[in-house]
Amino acid sequence: MNPKFPSEEWLNNFHNKLNSDEQYAKIAKNWEGDICVVLEPNHRLKERLVYYWDLWHGKCKRVAVLESEEEIDSAFVITSTYDNFSLLLEEKLDPIQAMLTRKLKVKGNLAILMRNVPVVLDFVRCAREVTDEIL
Amino acid sequence: MMQPILKINLTNRNIEEYNPPQEWINDYLGGASLGARILYDDLNKELKPLSAEAPLLFIVGPLTGTLGPAVGRFVVCGKSPATGLWAESNCGGFWGPELRFCGYDGLWLVGRSDKRSFISILDNEIRINDAEQFWGLDTYEIQKSIRAEIGVSNAKVLSIGMAGENLVSYAGLFCDHGRTAGRTGLGAVLGSKNIKAIAVKGSGKVPIFDPDSFKELRSSSNRFLKNDLVTQVAHDLGTASVADYSDYLGIMPKKYYSKGLMKGSENLSGSAISETILVGTSACHGCVIACGRVVDTGDGIRRKGPEYETLVSFGAILLIQNVNDIVELNELCDRMGLDTISTGNVIGLAYKLYDNKIINRNDLDGLELKWGNADGAMKLISMISKRSGIGDLMANGSKSFASHFGVEEEAVQVNGLEAAGHDPRGASGMAIVYATSPRGACHNKSDYFMVDWGQTHESIGIELFPRQAGAEKSANVARHQDYRAIFDSLVVCFFSNIHFQTLADLTNQAMGTSYSTQDLMLIGERAWNLKRCINIRLGLTSENDTIPKAFLKPFKEGGSADYVPDFKNMMRAYYLARDWDPITGIPSFQKLNSLGLNIQATEFYP
Repeated sequence: MNPKFPSEEWLNNFHNKLNSDEQYAKIAKNWEGDICVVLEPNHRLKERLVYYWDLWHGKCKRVAVLESEEEIDSAFVITSTYDNFSLLLEEKLDPIQAMLTRKLKVKGNLAILMRNVPVVLDFVRCAREVTDEIL
Repeated sequence: MMQPILKINLTNRNIEEYNPPQEWINDYLGGASLGARILYDDLNKELKPLSAEAPLLFIVGPLTGTLGPAVGRFVVCGKSPATGLWAESNCGGFWGPELRFCGYDGLWLVGRSDKRSFISILDNEIRINDAEQFWGLDTYEIQKSIRAEIGVSNAKVLSIGMAGENLVSYAGLFCDHGRTAGRTGLGAVLGSKNIKAIAVKGSGKVPIFDPDSFKELRSSSNRFLKNDLVTQVAHDLGTASVADYSDYLGIMPKKYYSKGLMKGSENLSGSAISETILVGTSACHGCVIACGRVVDTGDGIRRKGPEYETLVSFGAILLIQNVNDIVELNELCDRMGLDTISTGNVIGLAYKLYDNKIINRNDLDGLELKWGNADGAMKLISMISKRSGIGDLMANGSKSFASHFGVEEEAVQVNGLEAAGHDPRGASGMAIVYATSPRGACHNKSDYFMVDWGQTHESIGIELFPRQAGAEKSANVARHQDYRAIFDSLVVCFFSNIHFQTLADLTNQAMGTSYSTQDLMLIGERAWNLKRCINIRLGLTSENDTIPKAFLKPFKEGGSADYVPDFKNMMRAYYLARDWDPITGIPSFQKLNSLGLNIQATEFYP
């Protein structure tokens, strides 16, 4: 049983997953850039939540829970409502669909993003595989 | 709120104003949909597309030129010399809005000028001018020359190139910085009327029913559009922004639709262009997206950069990895007045036939065609435009070209229109789109590949299905076609990724109407079925609703390997969703009447 999302334990478990997953290592071998995910609060999530991943060449160097996305000048900032991010983890929302229909907002270099859509998709796959239970 | 359509008989030089019945405007709004209703009675099987009798209608929509979200477009309609079917081709730039500033919402040409001419419309001063000295000029040179000739330095000029003059069946119409009504060969229709160009300059205002409310909504929707991720991607990377992912999924066809992978495909993308040769962007009238690319390939000259379709048709289809070569091929096509999709495809077919030893150097006037080498393609573009040597055969399109050598089935086309760069083996919805588009294998009557990616519209029932799903997505494709038919009515760019309700609100404030989004969907469905009826009139049957054999042979490699669309079952479900007769392909009597197409119901079910 994986730790419940959202929690620091879930984030650490995801960290381990990214560093042990062979498929992710292969697909993300050229990826260079850190990512912040900002989850906007709602009735299920009382406070704004900011998660951070430092991703480099198919591995994850560091994860952190931040006070604000402005703490680190990360390459990409992805913002979502908590509900939509939950749907993403539950495989009820496709990640590309989420971006194309404004359910995920993305800030960062769009050339890098478009060249690396498979990396984004595999990152989400890994997140889903470490998610059994959602708050 | 619609302004009159200017009707010019080029044979007797009679000029009059035409006002379509209000009922038609209510039923079709404008653009290609209203154009189809206006031309319905004039289009029949016997009409030759390049005859004097063939009509050519330039028409705007109620949002054209209003500075709304990506609405600076117009459409050209008629009978296609490429397909013999309904023709429409949509174009951005500044020409459409400028026509409205002259006080006209359309220009309807009939007849044929006895002399080579160009038309000038300066507000309500309309002239047919001598153009003998301009014949042979390319589509960039002609703009300067005509502005100088009429003494109006900021006139907007729409023209044909040498390809249109020589009646190449896929010649387009060009304006501004390479903005193109490329598909279905309407440049040849203008050429057949002995008209080189149409210059417009107006000083009026676009009529809007409720200008104050419209202005407010226009501003907020433009702000919304500017902040949209799809817009930002299109702004930063152009239409070729989709190339990397399209390549990954095996949607981008290679080596004339025979391969799923190619070496160097990473060069053929908006991201690669943005990091190498991009020096600026260009926009159509009032557009916040600015998807147009401006590039410098190293000679210090700012040129138009290739769009996705051009990167595919000259890059992936011919296995050309060098993007600078593609910039050059693109510019030559634009200058000669050729549609890059069809041109790249016809040339791709020539490369394949040469590779398969069906044609040889003797057929090609000594030319050698090697995959990945742009030299042959450059020479063929010139030969096609001039109809010289084998270019004369190629100028009639890939279907005709392949037929000449007894291999019609090798041509990747539907009803005479070459396929675009969205392979149904990677995005199965495109199989139905290509088979049933009113103008052949076209991606611009429904960009369903974007729905297959995830660009859904749940509020009007357009949902996500797996990209290689079968018949279960057929009704969804039909809904998307109806949805996009509204964009062609209004006339709005497909990149205007605003909420459909906002589009309805903008329409109502511009026209003084009260359409709901469901009303608009019904108008879209009506327009789709009307164009179907036109094509039935022109000889189309259910047998025409097909896809080329290339799409039914699986790729051995790449993101779509080992898959072909379940085409027969998809089409069966599509006909059911459309309520079209599975044998004749004609919309049912009940369907026609339910859409208010009573005239057509009586015509097809006497």
